[in-house]
Amino acid sequence: MELTIQEFCKCLDMPLNTIERWIRQGRIPVKRVENKCIFNDTALRKWAEEHNLHYHPPGEMQTENSSEKLVTLTEAVESGGIYYDISGDTVEEVLAAAVWRMESIESEEDRKVLYNSLIAREQMMSTGVGNGVAIPHPRTPLDREGIPTQIATFFLEKPVDYRAVDRKPVYVLFILVSKTSKQHLHVLSRISYCLRDNVFLQMLSETPDSQTLKGKIREFDAILNGSG
Amino acid sequence: MDDRLLLIFLGAVVGIFSGIAAVGLNRGLIAMSESFAGLHNYWWVFAVPGIGAALSSVFLEKFMKEGAGHGVPEVIYSVSRHGGLLRLRSAFSRLISSCVTIGSGGSAGPEAPVVISGASIGSNIARSFSLNERQRIALVGCGSAGALAAIFNAPITGLVFTIEIILGEWSALTIVPIAVASVAGAQVSRLLQGNQIAFTHLRFDVDITTTLAAVGLAVITAAVSIALTLALRHSHRVSGKIMLPLWLRAFTGGCLVGLIGLMLPEVLGEGYHTIQKMVEGTFTQGLGLVLLLVAAKIIATSFTLGWGGSGGIFAPCLVIGSFTGLMYHRLVDFLWPGLSWVNEGCFALLGMAGLVSGILQAPLTGMFLIIEITGGYETILPLILVSALSTTMCHAWEPASFYFKDLMERGHYLRPRTDAKVLADMSIDELVEKDCMTVSENMLLGDFIKVVQQSHRNYFPVVDKETGELKGMIHLDDIRPYLFDPLLYETVFLEQIMQTDIETVDIHEELSDVLDKMDVRGLFSMPVVANKRFVGMISKATLLDRYRHELIVQTQH
Repeated sequence: MELTIQEFCKCLDMPLNTIERWIRQGRIPVKRVENKCIFNDTALRKWAEEHNLHYHPPGEMQTENSSEKLVTLTEAVESGGIYYDISGDTVEEVLAAAVWRMESIESEEDRKVLYNSLIAREQMMSTGVGNGVAIPHPRTPLDREGIPTQIATFFLEKPVDYRAVDRKPVYVLFILVSKTSKQHLHVLSRISYCLRDNVFLQMLSETPDSQTLKGKIREFDAILNGSG
Repeated sequence: MDDRLLLIFLGAVVGIFSGIAAVGLNRGLIAMSESFAGLHNYWWVFAVPGIGAALSSVFLEKFMKEGAGHGVPEVIYSVSRHGGLLRLRSAFSRLISSCVTIGSGGSAGPEAPVVISGASIGSNIARSFSLNERQRIALVGCGSAGALAAIFNAPITGLVFTIEIILGEWSALTIVPIAVASVAGAQVSRLLQGNQIAFTHLRFDVDITTTLAAVGLAVITAAVSIALTLALRHSHRVSGKIMLPLWLRAFTGGCLVGLIGLMLPEVLGEGYHTIQKMVEGTFTQGLGLVLLLVAAKIIATSFTLGWGGSGGIFAPCLVIGSFTGLMYHRLVDFLWPGLSWVNEGCFALLGMAGLVSGILQAPLTGMFLIIEITGGYETILPLILVSALSTTMCHAWEPASFYFKDLMERGHYLRPRTDAKVLADMSIDELVEKDCMTVSENMLLGDFIKVVQQSHRNYFPVVDKETGELKGMIHLDDIRPYLFDPLLYETVFLEQIMQTDIETVDIHEELSDVLDKMDVRGLFSMPVVANKRFVGMISKATLLDRYRHELIVQTQH
């Protein structure tokens, strides 16, 4: 296989001008044909190995290092869905009711896994962040086929004592599920940005319909994307 | 064709052409000395070396636009810094100028000029075949080896000198073509002017007395080497202070040599006839005169080379060395009359080896040169001893040899596989990290914190948005105290936080200087500027990472 000099630079993760100098100095095995250099994949791989340089041929690279695409709030809320009138008097009951309402999860086993990991997290410390909002989430990322990344929103039938930090009863849950920690922190930081907004909190307390809520979330996404 | 075969073939071609160049200079010198032979009855003969030196200086300076001197440091510098790139005109400029200098009686040798012309022939052949730098350096070595092998009819010396002094590196890739070039050069010389050993001699009976006496000789040759080095340097310094045009300076130096030559004609020219007489043992002058000759030759050589004449140091070394050997032998004879030992020709020979090794600090070159030009293998034991000891003593006194002194002073002494060479090869341009987020001095702290969130670096250069000029730097540590104080977000401008007293590096600076700057101020990262405009950052971590790659690539072939 033959490479261009740019591809070869990427394979070695070295800057172009260093590679050009090495060619000029005759340190890299290249063939010259009419003032053009031909880079042979096998010869260069051998050379790189002999010189302790890391060599990632095109195609083999990218997979691991390419930065995963982070899901935005709108996408997560869209995939999680919005549910109303969740019944229950305790944390466990509310969570069970919520998990079994989720439409994005199909198998019974996946529901159990999610429920257990949410409960485990709640037992460590409540996810009630105050102002009547809780963000239940598994302690470690859940990487299961049947559970997609999402924010599922649940408005409760009646406020529940959730042992929240401000001791106020909780009336809305955002269940956060992510496949990686990075994704989790990304969504969590965006959600917490929203929850600092008093207008949004006011809106939540009035149990908005799903279109209004999604519209507001879209606005937040626009602000957060715009700033960076 | 396979690269190695091509290189060997081209090496032979380069060797042949350098050999022809060397023979050409030799013929030119013979012709010159024959045409001047009839002049020594005239009173104005002393001015002849002056005219020669002046002509050669004018030729080099005005027509060739090249500096005086012998050329070997130029070749070494070109090999270490420019991949062996040499100008085509160097192939003949020094040949002509040194022919005029030496032919008219200047005290210098033809070897360095043929080395630079051979090297230039090699370099230009490499260029016309568009070879890479490593191959070009090999051909430069081929040229130097072929030329030296031809002028002395000494193939091993050509090879050893090139490797020991010009390249400073033993590697199979270069040795093979250079060896072939040596053979080619020497063969050309034998075809054109016969297979003659420069200094034939009678058989020497070397015994333990000679070997022991060689230790004493080494001390003397080292001392004389040091004296010669000092004289050359001093005369160069003195001539540099004289406010005269270069050619007039060279003329003055040449006339002084001519005046010395009026009384002691042995100091003139390359002096090979005198050596021949001493090695044969037919040089009959007494101890006092020999002592005088050593001093006179040193002075004549410094007036020739230090004042602007053109030529090498090899031949004067050989002459001074043989005088020194002779002087030592007669001194021992005088102190210890009746001692029956080897004749004085042998010591003339050992003295040459001692002086060449001492001046060049290249023991192998000294040994092989003397063995080859005298055919005197029976002197090998004292020869090695003198060469090694003389080199060691000169090295102890001054680690920079005659060829390397100037290069070291200018920081151009970059031997292969050394720290200096690795650093010199890399440029800041290759290391500068351009993924820094620049900020403007009018930015509010609050906006800056958003930039910090997006960046994965700790340094933020503050840049004038219009001119791109670097105004200051902000390190994450600088804003740490204010990070959690929202009141300051809207009230503080970056101008108020940034550090303005910052050390920058220019994009064209040498990496060794950059590292020095970092060490002195304890920095790990510095901004790089080009014409005051911010280009990127250079960090010690990246530098050392690349340094290691470079070291591996340069040292493992």
